[in-house]
Amino acid sequence: MTPPAGSLLSAEHLRKAYGPTLALDGAEFSIHPGEVVAVMGPSGSGKSTLLHCLAGIVTPDSGTILYAGRELSAMSDAERSALRRSDFGFVFQFGQLVPELTCVENVALPLRLNGTSRKEAERAALGWMERLEVDDLRKKRPGEVSGGQGQRVAVARSLVTDPRVLFADEPTGALDSLNGERVMELLTDAARSTNAAVVLVTHEARVAAYSDREIVVRDGRSRDMERVV
Amino acid sequence: MSVRQWAADLGLGIRFAFTGGREGWTRALLTAVGVGLGVALLLLTTAIPNALDVRHEREAARSDITFALDPMPKAKDTLVIARVDAYFRDDDVRGRAMEPEGPRAPLPPGVEKFPAVGEMVVSPALKELLESDSGALLRERLPDRIIGTIAEEGLIGSAELAFYRGGEGLAEKITPGRIERIDRFGDPQPGEEQSDPVLLLLVLVVFVVLLMPVAVFIAAAVRFGGERRDRRLAALRLVGSDSRMTRRIAAGEALAGAVLGLVFGAGFFMVGRQLAGNAEVYRISVFPSYLNPSPLLALLVAVAVPAAAVLVTLFALRGVVIEPLGVVRAGRPPRRRLWWRLLLPLAGLAMLYPMIGDGRENGDFNQYLVTGGVVLLLVGVTALLPWIVERVVARLGSGSVAWQLAVRRLQMSSGTAARMVNGIAVAVAGAIALQMLFAGVDDDYTKSTGQDVSRAQMEATLSSGVPMAAAAEKFRDTEGVKAVYAFSEGYLGDRAQEPEHGTTITVGDCASLREIAGLPSCADGDVFAVHGAEWDTGEDMTKLAAPGRKLYADPSYEGGPKRHEVPWTVPQDIKAAKPREGLAAGTDRGGFLITPKAVPDALAPALDGHAYLKLDRSVPDVQDLVRNTASAIDPLASTVTWAETERAERFDAIRTGLFVGAACVLALIGASLLVSQLEQLRERKKLLSALVAFGTRRRTLSLSVLWQTAIPIVLGLLLASAVGLTLGTVLLKMTGTPVRVDWVGVLSMTGIGAAVVLAVTLCSLPPLLRLMRPEGLRTE
Repeated sequence: MTPPAGSLLSAEHLRKAYGPTLALDGAEFSIHPGEVVAVMGPSGSGKSTLLHCLAGIVTPDSGTILYAGRELSAMSDAERSALRRSDFGFVFQFGQLVPELTCVENVALPLRLNGTSRKEAERAALGWMERLEVDDLRKKRPGEVSGGQGQRVAVARSLVTDPRVLFADEPTGALDSLNGERVMELLTDAARSTNAAVVLVTHEARVAAYSDREIVVRDGRSRDMERVV
Repeated sequence: MSVRQWAADLGLGIRFAFTGGREGWTRALLTAVGVGLGVALLLLTTAIPNALDVRHEREAARSDITFALDPMPKAKDTLVIARVDAYFRDDDVRGRAMEPEGPRAPLPPGVEKFPAVGEMVVSPALKELLESDSGALLRERLPDRIIGTIAEEGLIGSAELAFYRGGEGLAEKITPGRIERIDRFGDPQPGEEQSDPVLLLLVLVVFVVLLMPVAVFIAAAVRFGGERRDRRLAALRLVGSDSRMTRRIAAGEALAGAVLGLVFGAGFFMVGRQLAGNAEVYRISVFPSYLNPSPLLALLVAVAVPAAAVLVTLFALRGVVIEPLGVVRAGRPPRRRLWWRLLLPLAGLAMLYPMIGDGRENGDFNQYLVTGGVVLLLVGVTALLPWIVERVVARLGSGSVAWQLAVRRLQMSSGTAARMVNGIAVAVAGAIALQMLFAGVDDDYTKSTGQDVSRAQMEATLSSGVPMAAAAEKFRDTEGVKAVYAFSEGYLGDRAQEPEHGTTITVGDCASLREIAGLPSCADGDVFAVHGAEWDTGEDMTKLAAPGRKLYADPSYEGGPKRHEVPWTVPQDIKAAKPREGLAAGTDRGGFLITPKAVPDALAPALDGHAYLKLDRSVPDVQDLVRNTASAIDPLASTVTWAETERAERFDAIRTGLFVGAACVLALIGASLLVSQLEQLRERKKLLSALVAFGTRRRTLSLSVLWQTAIPIVLGLLLASAVGLTLGTVLLKMTGTPVRVDWVGVLSMTGIGAAVVLAVTLCSLPPLLRLMRPEGLRTE
């Protein structure tokens, strides 16, 4: 497979089935460093599965995924986990913050998993929390903060390792429009400032508007919007 | 608030308990199985007193001891019955030989007709054993033709080995306590068994200790699925339920689970009851029909369990605010207060304190104070543990990610963690106390037999008249017998009837006699008089051993049957011998010692035979080989395997009951722990998947689960040890026994508790790994 020139992460002919349900049926994808790509489509179209495959969370049944020139499916589970810890960041629809850790501990968690000391990890975490305007929540637990605040903490957590690719799965799905827009502004600004690529799964055009490019997934197949238009 | 509204809310809750598709059913089933196991154990406990009563009644109904001083005359309704009990391997075999003397001779319970000579009726378990290959050795001893089985009313347990066989010539051998004439079966002097206060104390504490964890377990079982239920209640708030309604609905759900649990419990109990009929635990078996719970106690269980389920649910919802848009656990629960938690164990100690020092003599321990005191002390564990866990985990610092995740989780919900180990802690605390009590009073119930097991390991008693020289030869020829010391023993009096002075007479070869006395020299034909033996007054022996004096073997006494009254003259050349520590019962033997050649033929019927046997224990079934030989020599022979100590049967039975019960309780608690552990993991499925998605190692998460369980269990076991040692000390002081800590017992009990938790954690690892799969992130 020849990836599109300069692409950081690319995929071709991805197929993935969950039992009798075909989630991906020949999907393709590519993203460049610093680029924000929105993956759109109706519910059940395979958007999240595409994201999970691209991030190495799920292994596709067939097809290839290249990240920085390395074949993802050729890596072991441990190698893919290490890659996710070091190079990728994640934001999900519901923040998926660990409820028993404080906000700063949640943000510091990916660094700690990488072996960074607690003090250093929390210092870096606090820096990101300041950038995302949630530093005042550092001692609070996720259950004590609002949905929008929690999602900003999750964005800080996804960026704390300076990832090269940020995967965001419906990051504003549980937020009102005002909060959703603020989260998107902060997320895309932060990503652009670190030249991180962002794979943004959404079904909202309003959210997709923050992207540089849109891809539509329907019945497990992906198509570039520009080609559709 | 109308009753109708209450009923409607409860009804809605009951419906919710069973709706919700597969998951709803699974949750309801889990609760019902949990409650059901607890209920079954409670029902079993309520049935135990009844089972023991029935066993006692049946034992009394088949009793064939007369305790009569005057022998009963032969009549149309009399029966001569001989005890021919046997042992097979480690099992007792109850045996009787019967010779009816008239057409109206009484039949023993469970037997339809008398077996003729050469026939026997046997218990079903003995029949099965005799027909199996493993019973071949016993079959040699019991060769009689089986003509029927003993019915249930003639047995005290389904696994009891028992037989009745036909006998002949028994009337001539009537010996009180061994061969008797009776005209009815049944205890001739029924009466209340005098209860030993220490044993009563043990029984009470064993019951409380075993039932407390069951109660804790039931309380945990009705909370299965609690978090999901809370979310459902939040949805109900959204559509207009007020907070009181939601609590009533929750109570209805718990009620449904508990009632279904009662049904399951009754089912488990019925199944267990049937299975119990096939089981034998430490030589105790019962028939299913024995296990009938007392109706009042069963009713109490049926009312108390659902009521407790509702109360526990309402109690659990105290700190939870159910809002229309979700469940809010009261952010930081109010700090737990120590004072009332300390009051419980202190009140328990206060209840036990008045009985301290009562001991065995004044020890009519008040059952209610004992039960109340022990319950309060153990409930104190469940009250103190959440406070201790909260305080300790609040002070724990961060370490590795796994440690941090565990500690933070514990800090957030220390109550849940404490609840999980409450059952184990209570069980261990109770077990430690009981272990101390058992170890403390063990000496009182274990006494030395005085039998010198280094010189002989078995003793066979043969009927009078059996030639001992030939018998000894047969024993010597038996595989595994290394040495035989054979004696014929009897009693000599100075008169044929109503003797004033008397002593024992022992016949044996020189080698055998040297085992029981110090002989100056010995040749066959010698007679010795032993002076200065333990029970010898000196005066008697000096007078009796005068050469030429006429004595009578087996003299008769007033009120007793006419005995052999065989005259025997002390020989002129009688030699003196010194007493020596005997083979049996720690006593040195006095009286006359006679070598075989010096025994006149007429004396033989007046003497019983005893053979002391030294065995090669490496020979398989050596004891049964000896028993078979003894039986071949004399069908009325009895054999005893020697032991250095013997223990009171009831003490052993209580101890056995504790171990069996503790095993059941720990298994139950382990199952409960596993279910709640799995439920907690399921609740966190999405979070676990997300953590794995951003690269968390599985090892980290597994370790965090281990820490999460290990920290509260360590605290729980420390508290359990402290409470257990306190309770054990108090109980020992109550019995007036010196306090001694049985550290091996403490360590083994805490070790078992820790092992249960470790096993549960290990069992929950595979599901944890499955839950960490990225598929957990899928929502569609």
